Amino acid sequence: MNIIEITNLTKVYDKETIPVFALNGIDLTFKSGEFTAIVGPSGSGKTTLLNMLGGLDNPSSGKILVNNTDITQLTSSRLIDFRLRNIGFVFQSFNLIPVLTAKENVEFIMQLQGTEKKQREQRTLELLKSVGLEEKSNVRPNKLSGGQQQRVAVARALASRPRFILADEPTANLDSKSADNLLEIMEKMNREEDITFIFSTHDARVVAKARRVITLVDGKISEDVFKNQ
Amino acid sequence: MNDLKLAWRNIWRNKRRTLLTVASIFLAIFLALIVRSLQVGWFDRLIEITVNSYTGHIQLHKKGYWVDKDINNSMVFGDSLTNLIQSMGNVDKTVPRLEYFALSSFRNQTKGVMLMGTNPGMEDEMTHLAAKVTKGSYLTGEGEGILVAEGLATYLGLTAGDTLVLIGQGYHGTGAAGKFPVSGLVRFPSPQLNNQVVFMNLPLAQDFFSTENRITSLSITLKNADEIENTLATLRSHPATSGFEVMRWDEMMTELMQTLKVKTAGGMIILSILYMIVGFGIFGTVIMMTNERLREFGVVISVGMQKSRLAAILVMEMLFIGLTGILSGVVGAMPILVWYHFYPLRLGGEMGEAFINFGIEPLMPLALKPGLILSNVMVVVVIVLVTSIYPVRKILKLKVAEALHQ
Repeated sequence: MNIIEITNLTKVYDKETIPVFALNGIDLTFKSGEFTAIVGPSGSGKTTLLNMLGGLDNPSSGKILVNNTDITQLTSSRLIDFRLRNIGFVFQSFNLIPVLTAKENVEFIMQLQGTEKKQREQRTLELLKSVGLEEKSNVRPNKLSGGQQQRVAVARALASRPRFILADEPTANLDSKSADNLLEIMEKMNREEDITFIFSTHDARVVAKARRVITLVDGKISEDVFKNQ
Repeated sequence: MNDLKLAWRNIWRNKRRTLLTVASIFLAIFLALIVRSLQVGWFDRLIEITVNSYTGHIQLHKKGYWVDKDINNSMVFGDSLTNLIQSMGNVDKTVPRLEYFALSSFRNQTKGVMLMGTNPGMEDEMTHLAAKVTKGSYLTGEGEGILVAEGLATYLGLTAGDTLVLIGQGYHGTGAAGKFPVSGLVRFPSPQLNNQVVFMNLPLAQDFFSTENRITSLSITLKNADEIENTLATLRSHPATSGFEVMRWDEMMTELMQTLKVKTAGGMIILSILYMIVGFGIFGTVIMMTNERLREFGVVISVGMQKSRLAAILVMEMLFIGLTGILSGVVGAMPILVWYHFYPLRLGGEMGEAFINFGIEPLMPLALKPGLILSNVMVVVVIVLVTSIYPVRKILKLKVAEALHQ
C-alpha cells in the first residue's frame, strides 16, 4: 500500500533571475514499511525532497499525497497538525530541546498531541528502553553523548506513532560505533514494528542497510533500486 | 511539562543575561516608585497645607463670585442649604467667611488689605489660625479686636495693642469705616496672605460692610478627601445649591495646580527616559533570546508545535522576566515607602527652617498609593508586551526549512 505518492514535484529557486531547479519533475511512491535511502552528491536535492515530504517547504509545482491527503494544499496551521500526527523527524544535529530531559523530550510530542499523562509516561518509558536509554531518562541533552542524543531523537520521532520517519543525515555527526548502534535500532523498529524510514544520506552504512536506494542528480531521479534481501 | 514550566526553564538558559535584565527592571521600578512617591507625597502635603490653611476641600459662593469677587456678590445661606450640609456624612468642618478689600491706615502708612470676617472658633478648627498667632491674643467671639498678618503689620509699623483704621466700600455702595484695636499678629506660610490679610469676627465684618447676615464663601473640609467627587456631585445636584457655585479646591488653586502639573511633567519625562533605557535593555534581551533560538523554533514547529503556541511561550518568557523584575522592585521599594509614609522624612537645614518659620512641621511623607504602584507596574508590563511583538512576528513569519539550516 502506498503511503506517499509524489507527482511531478518541482522546486525552483530564484525564479525571477536565473532559475535553479532543486527538484525537477520528481515522481515517486513509497510503500508502508520501506527502509529507503535517498543518496546523491551535495546539491542534488536530497534535503529539499525530504523537506517537501515533511511539509517543511512548499514545492513550486506538483503534488505530494500522504495517505491520500495532498499536503501541498494544507494551510500552515493544518500542515503543522498533520506533521504532528503523521510524520516523525530525525535531524542531523539531533535538535533536542536543551531545557528538557531525555524523557521530557520524548514526552513533548505526545503532549502536543494531547495524550494523557499516564499513557505518555508509559510510552516514553517503552521508547527509551527500546533505544537503550531508560537509565538516562532524567538527563538533559548536554549531558548525553552525540549517539545518545540521536537515540533520544529517534525515540522522540517515534513517540507520535507516525506513518513514516524522515531522517536527514542522521549518522553524519556520529562516530562509527554510535552510527552502527543507531542504525541497528532503526532497522529493528522497521522490521519489527513496520515503521517506514526515509533517509537522506551520504553514509555508506545507511545505504548498505537500506532496502531501497534512490539516487538524485541535479534534482532528478537518476536511479531507483530495490534490493532483494 | 506544561508551557509555563517550559517558558520558565527557557529564561534560565542564560542566567547572567536574565539576571541582568531582571536587575535593570528592578532598578527602574525601585527608583520610579521611590521618586514618584516622594513627589506625590510632597504634592499631597502642599495641597493639604493649602487646603487646611485657607480654601478647604470645597467652597460655596454665590454664582459668579469667583470671577468677580465683589461684596455685592455675597449670599445669604438658607436653612435648606444649612440642613443639607449638616446632613452630609462626609462633611467634617465648615467656616463661613465674608471677604472684601478695604484700605488700612496706621499713622502715616496706608495699604490695601483683604479683610476677612470669620467665626473664630470654626476658623481655628479648620485652619488652626490660633496657632499662627505670634504676638498678642487670638480673636474672641465678641468685641472689636482684629488679627493683622505679620507682613502687613511690619509694613504699617503696628503691633498688638495698636489701633488700625479701615476704610472701604460696603454692600451696594454704602460707606465702610472704623477703628479697630489689634488684638494679635498672625504669620502665614504664603507671602500673599502674610502681607495683606486682616481677620475680624464675622458679625463685626458684616456690620462694617453693612451686609447684614450675608457671607461671601462657605469653606468645607471633608472627613475623607478621596470621596470628594461624590460629595461634590451631591451638593451640585441638590436644588438648594441652584444659586451657588460649588467649587473644588483645585479649581480655586489654579496657580498651585499648574505648578504641580509642570513639576509632575518634569518628573514624568525623567521617568520616561529611565523606562526607555530599560525598554531598550529588555528589547536587546528579546532580540538575543529570539535569534539564537531560530533553529530550535524550526525544530519544534517541524515536530508539530503550532506557531501561535510557540509565540505564546515566548511572550510568557518575557512576562516571567518582566514580572520577576517588577516583583523584586516592588518588594524592594515597599519597606521604604511604608516606613517613610508613616514616619515621614524630617527636613533639615534651610528648607526645614523655612517650614518652621511658616508654622508648618517640616515633614515630607512618601505617598503610599496602590494606583501609583500599579501604574509603574503597568508601564513595565506594557514595555514587555511591546517588545514581545518582535519574537511573535519572527515566529509567525518563520520559514521552517530555512530555520532548520540556521
